[in-house]
Amino acid sequence: MATIPAEATEPAGTREGILRGMLVEFDTPGQLIAAANRVREAGYKRFDAHSPFPIHGIDEAVGIRMTILPWIVMAGGMFGLLNGLFLQWYTNAVDAESLSLIPTFLQGYNYLVSGKPYFSLPANIPVIFELTILLSAIAAVIGMLVLNNLPLFYNPVFNVARFRKVTDDKFFLVVDARDSKFDARATDELLSGLGGTAVEPILEYPSPSALPRPFLTLGVIVTLVALIPPALIWKAWVSKSSKPRIHIIQDMDNQAKFKDQRASVLFADGRSMRPPVPGTVARGDLQHDDHFFRGIVGEAWSTTFPLHKLPVDDALLDRGQQRFGVYCAPCHGLTGDGQGLVNQRAIELGGAWVPPANLHEAQYRERALGHLFNTISNGIRSMPQYGDAIPPADRWAIVAYVRALQRSQFATIDDVPAAERAQMPSAARPAEATEE
Amino acid sequence: MKAPDISADRLHIRDLAPGLSNLLWLGGLVALVAGLLLATASGTETFLRAYLTGFMFTLSLALGALFFVLLQHATRAGWSVVVRRIAEYFTCGFGILAVLSLPIIIAMVLQPDILGIRAAIHDIFPWTSELIVWGDNTAAHPGDEILQGKSGFLSTPFFVLRMVAYFGIWLWLSHFFLSRSLQQDQSGDPQLSLQMQTRSYPGMILFALSLSFVAIDLLMSLDPHWFSTIFGVYYFGGSALGFFSLLAVTMFWLQSNGRMSQAITVEHYHDVGKLAFAFIVFWAYIAFSQYMLIWYGNLPEETAWLTVRQSPTWAPVSLLLLFGHFVIPFLALISRVPKRGRYGLVAAALWILVMHLCDMIWLVFPHVNHGGDHAIASFGVLDVIQIVLCTLGILGLYLGRVVRASAQGSLLPERDPRLPESLAFHNF
Repeated sequence: MATIPAEATEPAGTREGILRGMLVEFDTPGQLIAAANRVREAGYKRFDAHSPFPIHGIDEAVGIRMTILPWIVMAGGMFGLLNGLFLQWYTNAVDAESLSLIPTFLQGYNYLVSGKPYFSLPANIPVIFELTILLSAIAAVIGMLVLNNLPLFYNPVFNVARFRKVTDDKFFLVVDARDSKFDARATDELLSGLGGTAVEPILEYPSPSALPRPFLTLGVIVTLVALIPPALIWKAWVSKSSKPRIHIIQDMDNQAKFKDQRASVLFADGRSMRPPVPGTVARGDLQHDDHFFRGIVGEAWSTTFPLHKLPVDDALLDRGQQRFGVYCAPCHGLTGDGQGLVNQRAIELGGAWVPPANLHEAQYRERALGHLFNTISNGIRSMPQYGDAIPPADRWAIVAYVRALQRSQFATIDDVPAAERAQMPSAARPAEATEE
Repeated sequence: MKAPDISADRLHIRDLAPGLSNLLWLGGLVALVAGLLLATASGTETFLRAYLTGFMFTLSLALGALFFVLLQHATRAGWSVVVRRIAEYFTCGFGILAVLSLPIIIAMVLQPDILGIRAAIHDIFPWTSELIVWGDNTAAHPGDEILQGKSGFLSTPFFVLRMVAYFGIWLWLSHFFLSRSLQQDQSGDPQLSLQMQTRSYPGMILFALSLSFVAIDLLMSLDPHWFSTIFGVYYFGGSALGFFSLLAVTMFWLQSNGRMSQAITVEHYHDVGKLAFAFIVFWAYIAFSQYMLIWYGNLPEETAWLTVRQSPTWAPVSLLLLFGHFVIPFLALISRVPKRGRYGLVAAALWILVMHLCDMIWLVFPHVNHGGDHAIASFGVLDVIQIVLCTLGILGLYLGRVVRASAQGSLLPERDPRLPESLAFHNF
């Protein structure tokens, strides 16, 4: 056994230590590998090599087997994958009625996102992927810690002063006393024969194992304090209160003003909304022009456009086409034939449905302009009134466009100027087709 | 760990090269001629599509090799020096690939009205047709506003100019790195390593741009309405994966023929396997990113491309790619064991190469009939035979050139300063 420098010795004489293992020190990594091979061949299992840097071949020399960490990571990843899949299926794809036994707050909710199916893999894969990665990473970290017995706050090997050199330029082989082959004398002999610069026992000195009193007190206090929030939540959960909920985020919800249809103590009639003063009209609300605002001339529906208010020109027809596309086409269809998407869908779904009018029927072609205007303004049958949504000028534009549509469906070749007939494709020229 | 002793290794294939390259050239020519003869039965368009498939497949392998060389220099990689020369030889084929690209380019430029070539080119690359793009004021040919907007880029003269630029870049890069590397075999000058490292950075930028644009030009423009900003990366992922597979197969073939017996160790197989595995995942990641954004966005000009590939004709191939190009190789190579076992790695590599070819077919063949009806073009046994013939033809000619080029020097950079590190390389 090599001599131990005086400054490196623990006060072994003053306290009795328990033998936890034995270490041997080397100057080169080559010696360490050779020594590890010898110790492994001698039948030892619980021993470890310590070096300032990674050494090629040390794994084989110490006899380290393949780690099972990849399997732990894979299990974590698979759990994340299935979890992500289940989470999205349960929260969005399960019909709530099939879960009547489960409390409402634990039920999923069918939430439609941009018309996609409730459960569709392309949308689910990013979440599945992220959860797989997350749980793989967590499994890798925790698995690594557990497999390495970490965190380890204390290791008796640090009682050996010379072991500090392990982060600098020395190489150590440590044999654990728990090894079945470990024997103080025999192991000492084996290690001494390895050609190291020093062999030293690793001693653990008895230290008080009881938790210090201040730590205990602190622990009790922290535990009790930590119980307060859950206790409050639990109390709120089980008790009933007539007060409104605690409104933490205000979002300007409560303001010092009256809202529509609310009671007021300020006015004698108790209403917060004020009716107009009798005999007055608000600025801009005087709609005395019956022709323009109601489509009535004299006692009958107007058969002319209110030309004194707006000219009937290309601009009006363009505006009418655009407004028709916005408000009318969903039901009446882009050509006004009553086959809009809403109608198609309603027929597909079945049930009671009043189909929108085909505007090309004779009764609508012959209907007075003012009458059409009135229908748009006030609605008819299941068609709602659009007077509030569409300004009068735009309603007249729609009327003009409806007339244009009606004419387009009953056009003859005479409607095309003679100069432009030649440019028409032959299919659109029935007269010439018959000549051929 | 001691470095293996390579003094007894045979580090060249001068004895095999002439015979092998002649065989490959002859085989390639026979396959191409057979493909041409078959074109009378399968039609000109099928032949041209099959030819393009084989060309893009072979080009991707050469580009993957160029990427590997650039990457090793850019990262100053130590482990890969032993196998880097193999990749350098694989970059020697850009000359013959340039020649092999001529049939496509000539057909596109001249659009000869014989053997149905003109109609076929217009069906494959609709933007080459004046009639489709600009129309003639009739209902049958109204012109195509979208293609008119793209006509600045998708025009034949600019296309030819770009092809010249791509091959110029690739020829220059491959020549530079191989010649410097061979020079180092003679002089052993470590400055050459530094020079190659410095050049690899701009080289990498040129490589990335040229690869992305060639993918846009030769694959994305098959459906010129469609666009995907990630498409170049998609082709790159397949290229790199294809080359890593080819590299594993080549290493195995060389060792089976008694070359580099000691130089290439199981550690090198392991690392090539790791790269292949990484790029299996990378390819799938890119493919899915492309798919999901189009699926979510649901814009007609983007979904049309995928709708064709989800039609009954092509859905099986799409699923084959999902499982064959990702799931199966992913599970096959995830463990350390098959990557370190040569047979397992080579089997996976060969499988991946076949899947990579399927990926190219999937990019080139699915399209809507342009003959007026909008039926999805069918795909049959004749098409498969045509693809196999064209791919074998182009691949054979390319490999013949590569084998011939590899006879000029050693199979590993004998005096590279990092060679000892590479020989002694060991995975933890």
